[in-house]
Amino acid sequence: MKVCVLYSGGKDSNLALLKAYEVFDVECLVTISPQSEESCLFHYPNTELVKLQAKSLGLPLIADTCLDDENSSLDALYRVLEKAKELYEIEGVVTGAIRSTYQATRFQRVCDDLKLWCFNPLWLRDEISILNEILDYGFEIIFTRVAGYPLKKSMLGKRLTKDTVQLFSRMREILNPSGEGGEYETLVLDMPLFTKKLKIVEYDIVGEDYDATLIVKRAELVEK
Amino acid sequence: MILIISTCKYPLSDEEFVRPIVEIVRECGFDYHVRRYYERMETDYYSEIIICGTALRDFDYLNYIDNFAQLINYDGGILGICAGYQILAKVYSNTLERIKKIGVYNVKIIKDNPLIEEREIRAYFLHMYALRNVNDNLEPLAVQDDEISIFKVRNKQFYGVSFHPEVLNKEIITKFLYEH
Repeated sequence: MKVCVLYSGGKDSNLALLKAYEVFDVECLVTISPQSEESCLFHYPNTELVKLQAKSLGLPLIADTCLDDENSSLDALYRVLEKAKELYEIEGVVTGAIRSTYQATRFQRVCDDLKLWCFNPLWLRDEISILNEILDYGFEIIFTRVAGYPLKKSMLGKRLTKDTVQLFSRMREILNPSGEGGEYETLVLDMPLFTKKLKIVEYDIVGEDYDATLIVKRAELVEK
Repeated sequence: MILIISTCKYPLSDEEFVRPIVEIVRECGFDYHVRRYYERMETDYYSEIIICGTALRDFDYLNYIDNFAQLINYDGGILGICAGYQILAKVYSNTLERIKKIGVYNVKIIKDNPLIEEREIRAYFLHMYALRNVNDNLEPLAVQDDEISIFKVRNKQFYGVSFHPEVLNKEIITKFLYEH
């Protein structure tokens, strides 16, 4: 089956991509940039970085933007998926949704309206097992946003490691370990399907503890 | 020993609809086997059977209804989830109607049963077909709007659930495993 992957450049969409790649023909990536981190449907990707990731993956990228409200987000989702159908004849969509019935409901409805299969291979997975699997695959991941106690500004730019996973595991009473609720966001610098890895050359960090963002000003692809 | 039946045409859907059930069964401490809908079923070995759901556009399992006809003679408990609900409905000669339902909705319990203590629950739905009416073989236990959301097969411990209890109502599955 020809599929596209709903891609933000973070850990979950990259793991979903890897799982899709093993069993389907991944034809393209689709990414939607909301206006801010306030979007309840999409993560807040840096489209320029996603372009580099797509180049490293050797996959076409269909990118679009939306406002943070639900209607604008859904309109953008329809647009990118219709385009993916038209250009690459996809029959299905793969997402990295884990536990949000809000997200899953909307993805399923849009896919159904467009007569597309919807696959959510991480659905209901234990978040800690996802993090461990990602690291076992050799993903290199950095934190690009923290948004809530007890995640400090000093985490930004740091690697997600087994120690981080252990820490998140101990904090799971107060923190969703996957960050699916926007508690934190990540950027994948390298994963098994990348032909080159992403290198952050210049960046800024803005904000304060518990609400801070790493803004990449310049990045490039380098040999692995 | 629990038999878990996958109704998924594509293995990637197993990750979404079968693995969560496997994890609940494992958490409850039961041994299990997973079989696919098109495989020949040996049921004698198992105390309970769970027939899992599948993707919204997946109807391949309906081509293998004959494979499930033997379940009528099974003496253990069966929990049919979504596609499993549809399979049980068809095995007992009921007519599915096109009722598309995607998302979280309230379900009203209309008859006491061993799976749910509450009178109303929130549940996650993902289906194209369900029952509005049942024949004498089935007994409605819960409804959502005009859809029969849970039924029991009369004189059997077979239950059909049109929504996905693994998402918001895990206790339905654990109660089925422990208490049916």
